[in-house]
Amino acid sequence: MIDSKRATFLGLSAVAVSAVLATSAWAAKEPLKIGVPTSLTGPYSQLGDEVKRAVEFAVNEANAAGGVDGRKVEVRFLDTEAKPDLARQQAEKLALEGYNIMTATIASSEVLAIGPMLGRWNALYVATVTKANDITGKQCQPRLFRVNRPDYSDAAVIQPWLATRSEAKWAIVAADYAWGRGSGEGFRNAAAATGKTVVSENYPPLGSNDYAAFIQKVLDSGAQGMWVALAGRDAITFARQAKQFGLFDKVTTAGISFTTDGTVKVLGDVVKGINTIINYSATLDTPANRKFVSDWAKAYPGDSPTNFGGETYIGMQVIFQAVKKAGSVKPADVAKAMAGGTFETILGTQLMRKEDHQLVGPNYFGIVEAVNGTLRPAIKMTVPAQTATPGPDANCKL
Amino acid sequence: MSSAVPRDKAKVAAASIAAERRTPTVVLAAGLLAAAGFAVPWVVGSQLALTLMTQAVIHAILATSIGFMIRQNGLTSFGHAAFFGMAAYLMALNGKLDAMPAELAVLAAIAVPAAFAFFAGLIIVRLPALSFSMLTLAVAQSLYELMLRWRGLAGGDDGMAVRLPSRLFGIDIELFQAPSSMFVVSWCALVAVIAILTLVARSHFGVLTVAIRENEERARYVGYHTLVPRALVFALSAAVGGLAGVLFALYNAFVTPGALHWSLSGEALIMAVIGGPQAIWGPALGAVIFFVVKNAMGDLTEHWPAIIGAMLIVVTVLLPQGISGLLNRLNRLNRRSREAGKA
Repeated sequence: MIDSKRATFLGLSAVAVSAVLATSAWAAKEPLKIGVPTSLTGPYSQLGDEVKRAVEFAVNEANAAGGVDGRKVEVRFLDTEAKPDLARQQAEKLALEGYNIMTATIASSEVLAIGPMLGRWNALYVATVTKANDITGKQCQPRLFRVNRPDYSDAAVIQPWLATRSEAKWAIVAADYAWGRGSGEGFRNAAAATGKTVVSENYPPLGSNDYAAFIQKVLDSGAQGMWVALAGRDAITFARQAKQFGLFDKVTTAGISFTTDGTVKVLGDVVKGINTIINYSATLDTPANRKFVSDWAKAYPGDSPTNFGGETYIGMQVIFQAVKKAGSVKPADVAKAMAGGTFETILGTQLMRKEDHQLVGPNYFGIVEAVNGTLRPAIKMTVPAQTATPGPDANCKL
Repeated sequence: MSSAVPRDKAKVAAASIAAERRTPTVVLAAGLLAAAGFAVPWVVGSQLALTLMTQAVIHAILATSIGFMIRQNGLTSFGHAAFFGMAAYLMALNGKLDAMPAELAVLAAIAVPAAFAFFAGLIIVRLPALSFSMLTLAVAQSLYELMLRWRGLAGGDDGMAVRLPSRLFGIDIELFQAPSSMFVVSWCALVAVIAILTLVARSHFGVLTVAIRENEERARYVGYHTLVPRALVFALSAAVGGLAGVLFALYNAFVTPGALHWSLSGEALIMAVIGGPQAIWGPALGAVIFFVVKNAMGDLTEHWPAIIGAMLIVVTVLLPQGISGLLNRLNRLNRRSREAGKA
């Protein structure tokens, strides 16, 4: 009894001493300042909230463990409302305030607006949930990196699935900006490669409130299947209206970022049985992921990391390890350490390709179904990293 | 009645002659203010502060253009972002299509909105104030939708980068994109705009348009053409809005449909109302206040628009002349009390 008390005391003192030591060491080294220009309001506010929690979790975890490379991690969030022009202004503000290692913006168009400015601001950016091919393709930048799966990776997953389907006519409903357009194009190519025809393509603007006209067009087109690339509030509004029109009963539906951990929680039975690409799931059974999920549940009781949360945590892991490797928080040094490096992530050891700054990782496919009594996207098929992230994008000239 | 006509004409003429005598004072003041702008980058070291100030000054030019319209025509535009965005997109599209040298594009980006406003103005300035406001809103929103939908031309919602040559008017393009030098450029542009608009407002033309604003019918009976002057005010205001759009495109090198959206028109209008359009410099002051509140409060809360909203209510109820009106009144009281003291 006394021994266990003494052990507790010793343990606590050790924590206290190490905390003091860590604090004094922090004073000596320049802190790692992370800027997060993200959607705190607007159509993607739910996604913004998910990535914010992941960034905060990673920062608290790192600071509790004595910081990164002996440096305190500081973070600042600014709202971009999913608007590229505002994202550019807010990112500039963050970078010039010294929060020049940035991450976790929601819309691809925002990252494409930030990318070309990174050199001028002397900053670095790590994309964690944005999918437009151009980010690591035509518009790649020396200071721009991506850890999540791009549109072409999702297409590489959808194509084998599409080959097994009997539905011949397909419709596309995707958000009208870089990501949705890219996803639509990827699906169109996958459909052509598997002998399907796309009979209706619809690109509603980001933040639409009324999808009736688009739903009617899909119904009228005679499509037997539908590909949906809408996220956040758009996904929720569209799914509710599609349900009212009986669309999900008439066509086989598959999507990306459409039925996610976050939207399924809100929509419930409305989206049961919908096929979906899953970029990350808390249910993935690797030792690192199990630890991440259990630590997360301690920090946020009763909660588990969402797909966007998990991907953003991977981004934070890559940033932290690159800073440690570089022994510096200067964006130029961190970028050097990042390009061509390998990183220990919750999805295993992954390579950050130096050719296009894309992290090579696996991708998953599944369906929305009840797991232990709770409805969620459940993984049915795993696509290994080499297939899910095909060779470097030839459009990228670094 | 017959004697009233020449008397009114004489009033307009006398008022403008009195004002024109003060022209050298205006030019001198503008020169001093512009020179003061050169000192700012030396005093303000922070890049962040400079970039915010540059943005504030560019928006101040847009607010000034709306304020001038309200002051001279008594008409409120709800769609002034149309001219701002039109100019920015003209710069961007010229970069993409290489239609003309960038210097010419800068001039075109100011002239095209002005010409557009002049010809549209010949029709719409005759309308009642509310219809005019609604029409400006409609025109701006249709341009917004056009740019939002036309992905092939202008990248739609993703916006487009403004490709610029390495030198513009013989000046290194970097100078237009570094906050310290661009602040000076924008500041000088703002001072020049306010000086020119002040001179215009005090000229015969300016006094005449105010007379038309007060009583269009009477001005017509006195023998003035009333349509063209009002359309010209609209065109001048659009040119100033276009100038702001050009500076915006040069500085950010990136433009999205947001540059045409009603929310930008609304923001600029709020700046003008807070500052008070009765003074030519009022809206610019409003823009500065708007930016200070936005950035100071934006750091504390994401609900900063509520603070701007509350401020707008206070100003419209308590200070119908805006903050510039209040400052002018205080100045007058001060002078009067000093004169009373002397006596």
